[in-house]
Amino acid sequence: MIKTINAILTVLGGVGAALVLYWLLNKISGLFPGRWEERIKPYFFILPAISAISLYLIYPAVQTIEFSFANSGSTAWVGFKNYRELLTSADFQSTLFNTLLWIIVVPALTIFFGLIIAVLADRLRPQGEKIAKTVIFLPMAISAVGAGTVWRFIYATNPPGEPQVGLLNEVVTKLGHQPVNWLQLSTGRENSFLLMVIMLWAQVGFAMVLLSAAIKGVPGETLEAARIDGANERQIFTRVVIPQIRPTIITVFVTVTITVMKVFDTVYVMTNGDFNTNVVGNQFFNELFTNFNNGHAAAIVVLLMIAIIPIMVFQVRQFRAEEAAR
Amino acid sequence: MRRSLALVKPALVKATLVKLTFVRAVFGKAVAVTTVVVLLTSGCLVQSGGIAGGGNSNTSKTIEIMLGFTGDQFDAFKATVEPYAKSQGIKIKWAATANFNQLINTRIQGRNLPDIAMFPQPGILKGLAAKNQLAPLDDVLDLPALKSSMTAGTLDAGTVNGKLYGLLVSMNVKSLIFYPKPAFANAGYAVPKTIPELLTLTDKIRSSGKTPWCLGIESAAATGWPATDWFEDLILHEQGTTRYNAWVNHQIKFDSPEVKQAAAIFSQIAFTPGNVVGGRKSIASDNYNTAANPMFKSPPGCFMYKQGNFVAAPGGFPDNVISDIDNKVGVFGFPPATANGEDPVLGGGDMAALFSPHDEAAKKILRYMSTKNFGASDARLGNYISPHKDFDQSNYPNNVVRDAANVAYKATSFAFDGSDQMPGVVGSGSFWKDMTAWISGQMSEDQALKRIDASWPSGS
Repeated sequence: MIKTINAILTVLGGVGAALVLYWLLNKISGLFPGRWEERIKPYFFILPAISAISLYLIYPAVQTIEFSFANSGSTAWVGFKNYRELLTSADFQSTLFNTLLWIIVVPALTIFFGLIIAVLADRLRPQGEKIAKTVIFLPMAISAVGAGTVWRFIYATNPPGEPQVGLLNEVVTKLGHQPVNWLQLSTGRENSFLLMVIMLWAQVGFAMVLLSAAIKGVPGETLEAARIDGANERQIFTRVVIPQIRPTIITVFVTVTITVMKVFDTVYVMTNGDFNTNVVGNQFFNELFTNFNNGHAAAIVVLLMIAIIPIMVFQVRQFRAEEAAR
Repeated sequence: MRRSLALVKPALVKATLVKLTFVRAVFGKAVAVTTVVVLLTSGCLVQSGGIAGGGNSNTSKTIEIMLGFTGDQFDAFKATVEPYAKSQGIKIKWAATANFNQLINTRIQGRNLPDIAMFPQPGILKGLAAKNQLAPLDDVLDLPALKSSMTAGTLDAGTVNGKLYGLLVSMNVKSLIFYPKPAFANAGYAVPKTIPELLTLTDKIRSSGKTPWCLGIESAAATGWPATDWFEDLILHEQGTTRYNAWVNHQIKFDSPEVKQAAAIFSQIAFTPGNVVGGRKSIASDNYNTAANPMFKSPPGCFMYKQGNFVAAPGGFPDNVISDIDNKVGVFGFPPATANGEDPVLGGGDMAALFSPHDEAAKKILRYMSTKNFGASDARLGNYISPHKDFDQSNYPNNVVRDAANVAYKATSFAFDGSDQMPGVVGSGSFWKDMTAWISGQMSEDQALKRIDASWPSGS
């Protein structure tokens, strides 16, 4: 009860304080003579936002870049040692390879399945469509740790001869084979793909919702025109619908890619990076909170930031092109 | 109306675009200025020794106790301490967390120290004591009385530079081997008294067509720790306490004859075909809580399971076994290397340390935690073992717990779990992971030992 009252008071206090702040800023800028007022006002009004961003975004980012050139306790500079150590260690190279695998496979498959489900759900009756979409979207509502817990029970392995708790192994043993150690199959990185399934399971709903809205937004006239011109269903889909929903596909692709680059909880909960499943996000967590090595952790994050920049540039350019085309 | 709107629209759009560009320019300039300011002011690194010296200066009767365990264990512990605290007029704020190691560092860096903290691992406690963050307990507790009451070696675990900083409050015993009592007796097996006898028994059971061992090291993100316990027990019993401590401090490396001998014994037990339920390939996916389940089938799927006393409680062995545990389960201590040498015991536990040297209330609570019958009500619930040899053993709920506790009380010395004492990057990192990789066949023994050595932080 106390917590609810506290929460309400915080919200009221926060909103009220923001209102008072802007009213004050307005009054202060009103004290300046005419032309100055017009010049100063924009800076004043974005002052709270800039302060918040610099305190919580710019300052930590700069601090992290500095720490990546310092030692594990952040007490002395070490130059590029952290980067050298990371990039030359076979473990980290394997981690980078795994992360790359995730980045290549998961966004593409998410869009693929999202599109298929969106198109198929579109053809159901409205009632069936709603139910199908809700069911597919549901996994997004649970945390990655929750998803990991669910899938632990699907991949669980008990020694042969023991009753199997895991769903996959129950099926396999009922078909007459020995139980398989799913999460330890690492020669062809099969276990990484099994972990990717978990993330797909959660993200396909998100892709489906956005793509479904985009598909429904395609003007019917273009589809009719294509049919009149003699295109079959598949050509309509690939040549008419998809080009028109391109902005949405790109948005979903970029969002899922950034999510995949940061993937941590799924891998941590399932294997903690053992059996060649380690990814960059998990390694960062272990460097910072298990090894207490600030230098390595900061270097990993900086490498991740550098890797994300091209994607962000691409995204911003797309956005600007869209704005100009409007 | 429509026509005028059509005329106004482009003008409006153009005005908005101009404003947007203007705002963007202003925004961009502001961000640039801020970044430069931030760069200039954040150029300094953390000063070494910048962490506030001297701990907590609290002197009031309201104290905060920070613990590394949650759930039932926490509730039981709270119920043990609260009545005494109330009788002394002391108010306790409890801070229980499952991620103690991460949180304690954050709190120290944020200068937000508790008054008492129960450390699950001595490594961090020793580091803090060396930095003068903790108060020595030599003047707070009655050391001579403790020395005679507590199991030999339990005080050493919390001693740094000759002074006591960590008081062992609860103890778990790890050098234990559980066995199915009725089946053992029926087959006529005797409890082995030395390691060679243990290996002979293993061979005997295997050659009669049965599987001697259950072994499982899976534990989600912590997979591999039971394997490290096996190594620690083997090194401790084969080499003795002094050389064990030298190994824990990295004076004896992992790539050394002592450790390789332990690895050879472990390989013989775990990798010989027919020795372990499910064979070598299922060890890394067999969860340590349920790995012993085959033991309770009839006929038993295995005859021995090495694990700490905590599996003999709800959540570990099956419930129907726990309810009749004295008839179904027996336990003996991991045997010594020879009959007349050292008989040490490996274990762990929570150590209480004091951050507030001037707080009488905190000192009173610590003194209470050091009394010989502390934890009696907790013990009756089944997962608490007292480190005091003169603890009233009728508080233990069954013979299995009592026998486990006596393995520790009768041992020649108590050695704290090695991986809990090593630096985090090894003890919670490479030791776990490389052992798991070796056991599941992804790495050779040589590679694994060399990698663990290489991961040891230099000059930490």
